[in-house]
Amino acid sequence: MSKRDRSEAECLRIRLVMLAMLAALAFLGVNLWRIQVLRAPEYRSSLDRQSMRRVRLPGIRGRIFDRNGICLADNHPSYCIAIYTEELRQRGRWNRTIDRVEEVVNELAEVLGQPPQVTREDISRHVFRRLPLPFLAWRGLDESALARWAECDTVFPGVDIYVEPVRVYPNPERAPHVIGYVGRADPADGGDEPYHYYLPEMEGREGMERVMDSQLRGQSGGRLIRVDASGFKYAETGEREPVAGDDVHLTLDMQIQSVAENVLSNQPGSVVVLDARNGDVLALASSPTFNVESLKSQSEWQRVVNNPDRPLLNRAIGGRYPPGSTFKPLVAVAGLQYKRTTPGTVVNCPGYYMVGNRPFGCWSKRGHGPLTMRKAIEQSCNPFFCDLGVRCEYKRVFHMADSVGFGHRTGIELKGESPGLLPNDEWKRRVMRDGWRPGDTCNVSIGQGALLVTPLQMAVFAAALGNGGHIYRPRLVNYGIPHGDLINRMAWSEKTLSVVRGGMHDVIEAPTGTGKRAKVEGVAMAGKTGTAQYGQGRKHAWMILFAPFDSPRYAVAMVVENEVSGGITAAPRMRHLMEKILVLDGTLPAPGHTPEVSVQG
Amino acid sequence: MKAALIKGLKTLRRSNWLMTLPVVVLLVAGVLFVYSSCYVSDDQTVRPLYERQIVWMIAGLGAYVVLALYDFRRFKRISGWIYGMALALLVAVLFIGTTIYGAKRWLMLFGENGIGIQPSEIAKISMIVLLAHRLSESGRNLAAPREVLIALGLVAVPVALIMKQPDLGTALVFVPTAFIMMFVAGVPFRYLGSLAALGVTLVALLLAALFLPARFDASPETQARIQELTGLSDYQRGRIEVFFHPDKDPLGAGWNKRQSEIAVGSGGLWGKGYLHGTQNILGFLPRSVAPTDFIYSVIAEEEGFFGSLMVLALFGVVLMFGMLTALRTRDAMGRLLCVGVVSLFFCHVFINIAMTVGLMPITGLPLPLLSYGGSFMVIMMSALGIIQSVHIRSHRRDAFR
Repeated sequence: MSKRDRSEAECLRIRLVMLAMLAALAFLGVNLWRIQVLRAPEYRSSLDRQSMRRVRLPGIRGRIFDRNGICLADNHPSYCIAIYTEELRQRGRWNRTIDRVEEVVNELAEVLGQPPQVTREDISRHVFRRLPLPFLAWRGLDESALARWAECDTVFPGVDIYVEPVRVYPNPERAPHVIGYVGRADPADGGDEPYHYYLPEMEGREGMERVMDSQLRGQSGGRLIRVDASGFKYAETGEREPVAGDDVHLTLDMQIQSVAENVLSNQPGSVVVLDARNGDVLALASSPTFNVESLKSQSEWQRVVNNPDRPLLNRAIGGRYPPGSTFKPLVAVAGLQYKRTTPGTVVNCPGYYMVGNRPFGCWSKRGHGPLTMRKAIEQSCNPFFCDLGVRCEYKRVFHMADSVGFGHRTGIELKGESPGLLPNDEWKRRVMRDGWRPGDTCNVSIGQGALLVTPLQMAVFAAALGNGGHIYRPRLVNYGIPHGDLINRMAWSEKTLSVVRGGMHDVIEAPTGTGKRAKVEGVAMAGKTGTAQYGQGRKHAWMILFAPFDSPRYAVAMVVENEVSGGITAAPRMRHLMEKILVLDGTLPAPGHTPEVSVQG
Repeated sequence: MKAALIKGLKTLRRSNWLMTLPVVVLLVAGVLFVYSSCYVSDDQTVRPLYERQIVWMIAGLGAYVVLALYDFRRFKRISGWIYGMALALLVAVLFIGTTIYGAKRWLMLFGENGIGIQPSEIAKISMIVLLAHRLSESGRNLAAPREVLIALGLVAVPVALIMKQPDLGTALVFVPTAFIMMFVAGVPFRYLGSLAALGVTLVALLLAALFLPARFDASPETQARIQELTGLSDYQRGRIEVFFHPDKDPLGAGWNKRQSEIAVGSGGLWGKGYLHGTQNILGFLPRSVAPTDFIYSVIAEEEGFFGSLMVLALFGVVLMFGMLTALRTRDAMGRLLCVGVVSLFFCHVFINIAMTVGLMPITGLPLPLLSYGGSFMVIMMSALGIIQSVHIRSHRRDAFR
């Protein structure tokens, strides 16, 4: 084939391609004619005479229940007046449309007998941003306003009732830190959200509402409704089913939670009640509390935020406290497990303990005299535990505390958990630019110094003492699994446990025990009080406890800020709490149902 | 300096003004309708879009002039390098590209908010240049299977990289463009025929995988598994399903299609008038796509059948002059360049308009010269510049030199 032949063949093929392209363009032209001229009336009518109303069908948010099926977060319908602004659109400048909407709002205000809830600014923002979506001019209408609307003769084109779910908390002041609350937010702009079809969605902002948001959240659907000029609705032309969110069940027991919150009597502090057998969180109280419903008002929100007691802080997981003497059982366990002491070792307490030439005082000025470990726990003797800590060497105390979980987040589902602070040499060099000294060992051994823990960590530790060394992850979401999420299994020997538990038993049960005010008649319990000093002579009152003594079921940690002492402040509250809990689970008879007692009384 | 300017102007005087005229008309229309499609938007980043479109238009015209002055025959030496560079950019975008709407298509120059370029656009023109060069070299036996396979490979590599972004629409434009170029260059019909058959079979299999399991009441799990085998993402599947079942999911995947059809249809014979398209103003046509992929439905609604037919005719004129240049030139590579550029142009125009009027499933493919977009504008104008370059150098004097 010569070059010339080849180019001629190419030209022939180019002409063929040209022809095909022209034909294709003609095909498009014919289709344009078909749609724009032949079928134009059909499309016109779908645009002009009937406007499409896009009604959103909200996906109902899942509810939240406690372990006994008490509803903690529910949804109620709220009636709104919706204005379909696009149906009120005026020719010309946008201001005329906004004027028209404002006019309608004012007319409606008269009919409903309700002052307008929206300003002109709200209207213009809606017209510019979300014109095709309903504009909710009134939310939360009461029955009388609804009745007025139903009776009114005037026809309002482009106005309709709209039902919107609102989140309701039946007990808005109970466990607000755990349950949390929701807010409405514009979804992030620029997403590939299906085609301009959104309204602000409910979204979990705090607590379990936030953590479990993906389960709770429903998926909203939508419906296209054709509406004519008089407001008459024609057949629905398209529908997308909304999907309801899943319910969430918590391990919380609202009855216990209520008692826990009551014993704190709104003083700054916290109570955590765990199921010692699996780490279920039965109560997680932080005080002072706040009312989630009232947070909706701006002034109340400001008041809560500016409160110096910081009600929004969840002290149970985010409060960092020195544990004071409640830390001593850990030092005792470390000493016995690492064989640095024996149950029978006697230490003399002269009322102080010398580190170098510096005396560390005991709370008993006269001294406790010679003590064994069991007695030392019962009496909470400082020199005994300083001596034990020094004898153990700090690295062993640190290792034991570290394996129990101090200095780490427990892994509870909530956000905002603090790991606390378990200091060591490396930490001290970094922060204080100074090495670890025997005085630091002494301080940490009695739960002071730089050591900081959360109430939840103390409750996990109390549970481990009760259940024989199982460190469970505290869990709030109840999937109905009886066994817990084991994080660590401590190899504590029977002997170790019996000595430490024995000491803690005496704390409550012995007439001389530091926690005797927590004693509950009829059920043996074990615990440890603590009075943690911080700042200038200020004290936090602590108590940890597990009960019943023989087969521990509950593990409790309590802290009350700025109080007298663990034995005087915390122990009586603990008794109150445990009495209620043990009555609730049937271990103790209910007060009114025991005639012998009342007769004797 | 002055001499070079005069020489350049003299060269331009020989260009095809009958093709430049409709191109400029379309460009101006593009700016006007980009303005129309977003002037009501409340979003401060969208509103001045038309101003940026003016900048792009000027940049595009610059590229058009530069490429017209550049002797296309010099591409013979650098076609391989251009192609290699385009591939390198396509690979780079997979790693350091910016993700917009879930696809990594953009390389950002000058920081986060600088100028974004789309390597897939550069790849289009580099593939046309390389293919035109290879297929036109004398002494190549295009009937040899080896030659055909190499040519197919040169097309397949950028297509695969672009699919990975993913940008299915752009990737699919390559295939018919290369196909037409090979057809014109004289690749024997037995190869092209079997290729076409293969393509049809693949599409048929795909559709069968999407629709047959449901027809035979297969369990939902089996359906899901088979649909997964197709390798299409959910939204792509949604668009195909909506194309065949228009009433399905009118609020989701079907929304754009339906609203675009209503916009076009309600335009009627004469349209609603410039700046009076309600579909667009009310935001029924999403503002994010109205100035880009759906610009034609804005025009069709506001200017009616005559307006949209006029635009179609202008495109036709541009395409025909491109083809006439191909017929006129004696240079084999120039001829294939023109065919390639025209085919690319045609694919964009046809697919975009067909999708706007509901004849094809929705694919994100812009309309040349009209849609908003920087890289696309500059590349399309460069491509048209190449046609001018061929035209300028196809005078009899040159041909017999």
